[in-house]
Amino acid sequence: MAARTVTALYARRRLRNGLTMGLAYAATGFGLSWLVLILGVLLYNGFSGLSLAVFTEMTPPPGAAGGLLNPIMGSLVMTAIAVALGTPLGILAGTYMAEYGRYDKLTTVVRFINDILLSAPSIVIGLFVYEIMVARMGHFSGWAGAVSLAVIVVPVVVRTTEDMLILVPDTLREAAASIGLPRALMIGKIAYRAARAGMITGVLLAVARISGETAPLLFTALNNQFWSLDMNAPVASLPVVIFQFALSPYKDWQSLAWTGALIITLAVLTLSIIARVFAAKRRSS
Amino acid sequence: MTDHTAKAFDSDLQELARMVAEMGGLAEKQIADAVSALARRDSALAQRVTQADVNIDTLQREIEEKAVLTIARRQPMAVDLRDIVGALRLASDLERIGDLAKNIAKRVIALNGEFPPPKLIRGVEHMADMVLGQMKAVLDAYARRDDSKAMAVWRGDEEIDAVCTSVFRELLTYMLEDPRNITFCIHLMFCAKNVERMGDHATNIAETVHYIIEGRPIADQRPKGDTLAALRGGAQQNRN
Amino acid sequence: MSSVTAYTVPTVTPDPASGEELEPKVLVQNLNFYYGDNRALKDINVSLFNGKVTAFIGPSGCGKSTLLRVLNRMYDLYPNQRAAGQVTLDGEDILSAAQDLNLLRAKVGMVFQKPTPFPMTIYENIAFGIRLYEKLPKSELDGRVQHALQRAALWDEVKDKLGQNGLSLSGGQQQRLCIARTVAVQPEVILLDEPCSALDPISTAKIEELIDELADDYTLVIVTHNMQQAARVSDFTAFMYLGELVEFGETSNIFTTPSDRRTQDYITGRFG
Repeated sequence: MAARTVTALYARRRLRNGLTMGLAYAATGFGLSWLVLILGVLLYNGFSGLSLAVFTEMTPPPGAAGGLLNPIMGSLVMTAIAVALGTPLGILAGTYMAEYGRYDKLTTVVRFINDILLSAPSIVIGLFVYEIMVARMGHFSGWAGAVSLAVIVVPVVVRTTEDMLILVPDTLREAAASIGLPRALMIGKIAYRAARAGMITGVLLAVARISGETAPLLFTALNNQFWSLDMNAPVASLPVVIFQFALSPYKDWQSLAWTGALIITLAVLTLSIIARVFAAKRRSS
Repeated sequence: MTDHTAKAFDSDLQELARMVAEMGGLAEKQIADAVSALARRDSALAQRVTQADVNIDTLQREIEEKAVLTIARRQPMAVDLRDIVGALRLASDLERIGDLAKNIAKRVIALNGEFPPPKLIRGVEHMADMVLGQMKAVLDAYARRDDSKAMAVWRGDEEIDAVCTSVFRELLTYMLEDPRNITFCIHLMFCAKNVERMGDHATNIAETVHYIIEGRPIADQRPKGDTLAALRGGAQQNRN
Repeated sequence: MSSVTAYTVPTVTPDPASGEELEPKVLVQNLNFYYGDNRALKDINVSLFNGKVTAFIGPSGCGKSTLLRVLNRMYDLYPNQRAAGQVTLDGEDILSAAQDLNLLRAKVGMVFQKPTPFPMTIYENIAFGIRLYEKLPKSELDGRVQHALQRAALWDEVKDKLGQNGLSLSGGQQQRLCIARTVAVQPEVILLDEPCSALDPISTAKIEELIDELADDYTLVIVTHNMQQAARVSDFTAFMYLGELVEFGETSNIFTTPSDRRTQDYITGRFG
């Protein structure tokens, strides 16, 4: 009698387990299928346009042949400047929060604001930089674009730096202190070293994030049909060019937009994979 | 005393104490039987005493095994450690007491009917009664962890030594009176000596009980009766 | 039951081994310690004798680790922790505000419960501390690293892989690496905070053997949950309970004939 109830109980549990698992698989499949679809369409439409000319020629006028060299370069340069500006700032702030000011009220405030910044719509950031730079300088510029991207980089780096440093066990700090290591040296030589992989991952993720941003650049760097690395003037960037070309009625511009989208996607994908590899290395070491 | 957090440790210690108490009971019975075999010229009883000694020996071995096992398993500290070491020491004293009783019984068998007049045996009987009293008291002190009782036993040994001295002196007189008495008188002297040694072991046990309770040996010197005094006074006088 | 506050600190005491008089290297007097408003140490008085091993035992939360962390002022890393009273190292008050903490910690080394090798090579783990205090030519530095590793009985196991990450070693080896790192800085006092609690018995035995050897040159203080370990390695033992120092004395006495009932109950496993 008892054995039969137990068997029935187990059968019910098995059924419930099977149902839940099936639903979970279905949801995963649903989510993944969209991703595959997006990548597929991107590859299908973008791959055909991929050629050497894309990387060597300027954006063409409608109806002419050309490439994406100037937006690619513009994106690279602005991203590099943004990272160069944002990373040290972010790391220093994150270091303050995790090491010097861990128990301070200020840290709580900074963390709260940083979290808001982290999730702020990027168009708001674009508008902000437009107000403080473009409006005052009187013209769009690469600098303004780089600054707006840097504003996006900072909270990401702050967050990952703080998180990674907090993950460094206190006993390691105590061990460093126990041989008479001053705090600054402890942070520089021990804590950063222990958190290095995670911090690099953070920077890479920030790069991945900003390399796809269009909104802030629309208000700051605008666009440039021609080859220009003058950061004081409008600079072309991939996302903005894609935005412009994709909305245009011209077939060849649309095709170039697809190709640009593919390039960005692949670049971001590569960065993400590198970031994952770093993160995995951190865990295993 | 409060219990151990590990209850099994308590039962280990209780089991050891129970085994020691059982061994003490056996030893007491052996003393009583041996001396009554001597008094009643009962070779059969003496035979039984010699055979029963093996039980005491077995118990001693069991106590040793149990003690070693408990030390290995529980790593006892402080009072627990002293408890176990004390049990080991008690067991070895009790085993010696058993041997001495067996020796008396063997002498009863060796005498084989050739017995001294009862009044000669009375002295040894008296000593045996005193030792039995000491044994009972000291085993009680052990069971109750009663230091003052143990100390009373420790001091009481002096009296037994004194009686032993007088028994020796008495036997010496008999031997001088009639050389035919010498054989059983010598045997009796050894019996008296054995009983006196039992008293010494009872004193040892008292010392061990004190050590278990207090953790240090008894500070002052024990009062000692001198059995050699009898010989000095009687036969030869130039012994210092 | 003896009153704790009445316990007087032995400033000079005969060495149980040689009979010579021992000088306290560290003298703790009327020490109170607070985590915020919570008083974790209550009027502690104790001497740590030069060249001896002193063990602190007691149930979890009794304050033994807290006391250890006062001796190198490790608590200063955290807010809201405060010590009051007097702790002297060679007669110098280490609790004073003027005390240079890095200098103090160079003199009072510490080994932790969990092995804490730095995220660098085995060689660098040791050389790092040495370079903090001395500029040495490479060959001399190599010698010092080797000496420290030998002192920690680790040299033979790692001499062929000095370039490997310190984290690649086993737990017991990591702990000996940490001891080597501490020794390399040439401290006078070494604090060991449950150094074997994460190790297997063989590694534990190696560390204990090491403690025996180090005792010739350093004043050692060990906090341990393992009473047998305290009995094995220490010359003096202090029993702490609820933030109080209940009993302090020669290890040979504490573990055979403790004078306080609470000590006896603790070491015989009758607590609570």
